[in-house]
Amino acid sequence: MEYKVEAHRIMSISLGKIYNSRVQRGGIKLHKNLLVSLVLRSARQVYLSDYYGGACLGSQRAEAGEWAEGETMESLEGRSSPGAAGADSCESETESRETLRAPETNAQASVEVAAERNAEEPASSSDYNWPQGGETDEERAPGQAEDSTQVPSCPVPESRFECGAANADEGPQSPAAAAPCCTRKRSAGKSPYAGSPVKRPRPGSVPPANTEGGDASEDMDTGNVSSLITIFGSSFSGLLSKDGAQAEPGAADGDSGSGTICCEQMLPNLSPWSTAIVAF
Amino acid sequence: MAGVGGGNDFQWCFSQVKGAIDEDVAEADIISTVEFNYSGELLATGDKGGRVVIFQREQESKNRPHSRGEYNVYSTFQSHEPEFDYLKSLEIEEKINKIRWLPQQNAAHFLLSTNDKTIKLWKISERDKRAEGYNLKDEDGRLRDPFRITSLRVPVLMPMDLMVEASPRRIFANAHTYHINSISVNSDHETYLSADDLRINLWHLEITDRSFNIVDIKPANMEELTEVITAAECHPHQCNVFVYSSSKGTIRLCDMRAAALCDRHTKFFEEPEDPSSRSFFSEIISSISDVKFSHSGRYMMTRDYLSVKVWDLNMENRPVETYQVHEYLRSKLCSLYENDCIFDKFECCWNGSDGAIMTGSYNNFFRMFDRNTRKDVTLEASRESSKPRAVLKPRKVCTGGKRKKDEISVDSLDFNKKILHTAWHPKENVIAVAATNNLYIFQDKIN
Repeated sequence: MEYKVEAHRIMSISLGKIYNSRVQRGGIKLHKNLLVSLVLRSARQVYLSDYYGGACLGSQRAEAGEWAEGETMESLEGRSSPGAAGADSCESETESRETLRAPETNAQASVEVAAERNAEEPASSSDYNWPQGGETDEERAPGQAEDSTQVPSCPVPESRFECGAANADEGPQSPAAAAPCCTRKRSAGKSPYAGSPVKRPRPGSVPPANTEGGDASEDMDTGNVSSLITIFGSSFSGLLSKDGAQAEPGAADGDSGSGTICCEQMLPNLSPWSTAIVAF
Repeated sequence: MAGVGGGNDFQWCFSQVKGAIDEDVAEADIISTVEFNYSGELLATGDKGGRVVIFQREQESKNRPHSRGEYNVYSTFQSHEPEFDYLKSLEIEEKINKIRWLPQQNAAHFLLSTNDKTIKLWKISERDKRAEGYNLKDEDGRLRDPFRITSLRVPVLMPMDLMVEASPRRIFANAHTYHINSISVNSDHETYLSADDLRINLWHLEITDRSFNIVDIKPANMEELTEVITAAECHPHQCNVFVYSSSKGTIRLCDMRAAALCDRHTKFFEEPEDPSSRSFFSEIISSISDVKFSHSGRYMMTRDYLSVKVWDLNMENRPVETYQVHEYLRSKLCSLYENDCIFDKFECCWNGSDGAIMTGSYNNFFRMFDRNTRKDVTLEASRESSKPRAVLKPRKVCTGGKRKKDEISVDSLDFNKKILHTAWHPKENVIAVAATNNLYIFQDKIN
């Protein structure tokens, strides 16, 4: 799945940009980092949606077709347009929507201690020609996790690249202007999923997607990412220490503490690349 | 208004180029803003080194009636210096983000220049006389002992070589937490607004120790941030109206009479997104980099990464005109994201009659669109076509298939040569185009 490679590459590039923005002259540029975080989030959505789409199909059809495709990710020849590839993935995901929830929730649960979303932002349109769909809590879950690693001064807004599997039947959505996006606070004190009844923390078990991610990561170049993962892994204080000077002090303080707990649990269990992904 | 296409009588000619020819361009010399004053007599540029250079147009010479007035250096001064915010451990760049002229009220000229944090009001005045004949000082300049002075001699004003002085008259500091992206002088000539990523402040030109905050989109929880302010401008005639654009591709028009804090817009301009063109980078390319009212005040123009849109202030749901600047880049967005070009903030400008608009592109190309004839033209600011009064040849980018002669393929474009800043003379067909460290001035051909 070439677009998955593309998504991975874009994520690496985005991480690099956020990292470099710390040392750029003139301070961190809020606008640019906001845009980069949007791209990062979108890429992650694509990457993970296929991630779990493959897992669901595998479990449904009892075959490893999707994973076999994943093994060929290292071939970069002929990057297909994201739309074409994404559409296929999404349609299959539509069918396996129900089961999709569980693995996604799994991954989020094992990593995320983030607070619930306060409000919803409508998915204004889908990515890659996917049918328009409403937002669901489980779809936002990936986005929540991603928030926690963002620079405080450049928080990740709610992604509009939700895999719009179904039509908007989740209830009326308020205009984007009024919607705050999911918080990136990871304070241990808060209940992670107070606002999302679907999510259930399942300790330990990460879906078989993890294995696939491990294989894939061997094929992918994680050299640059490893150093970034180290930063993210060390309770995000690597990013926050410099950014906190400009960002809200409260947000910075709140994140650096609880981030440690989460990442230390995850790091021994996952391959480096998967760590970076789920850490988002 | 003359046409922009190459087909009719109108043609653009090279007039002048300012700046060094060196291949190695010092970062400090990169031009970061260009602005004509209200009469077009003066042309100001700001650069990344914090300097302002003002050019003045010479009076047309009777000896050479066919040569239009040239712009020559009038004044150069250091407007902003690099600073360091010790509290936040941040360096504040001296780069001049914007220059805006004030309407001229007396012999002196006034302009506002701003970097990321501080706005300064500069007075540029001429001095061509000097008082001479004081008998209060010795020849070596020391003050004479008052007891030794027995008569009063009134000094006489003697002509001297013209000296242009720039002095900072006001410094408007400490009002912006985030990076200032826009300043705009109000039509009342007493106030102006300054906008950063999250806030817009209203200042009085005479008062430096306080300003009114009129827009604040900072969320209570910064993690909920979804958009930032990218540009703001005052309406050219209605002193109570201003607009600001956002990174989400929306424009809000606000009326200061409605409330002290204009967080709720009066009008909201947004074009529905085309879902078929969604990609990873849809949000980046929809971010508006510049917004400009037309001189008439009836329309406004916005620039996003790939297009320029003209909006009628009376219609909020879509623009009345959309012009594609370089649509061929749409398939290259990933590469442009990698090399950061996708974050380039292009500006746009109207001509004096609002009949044409201009904006920049890559490879030192700039584009002009005639709103009446719907013709457009791509021109290049290059040293090769810099012979006096040489007519600019329209350029064309080959988007696919067989490349014709004189066309340039998309892959050959130089993305380091970008034209972000352009300005159009308020009354005549004279344009100033900033290409990295060079300022090109083009005029229409006199037939």
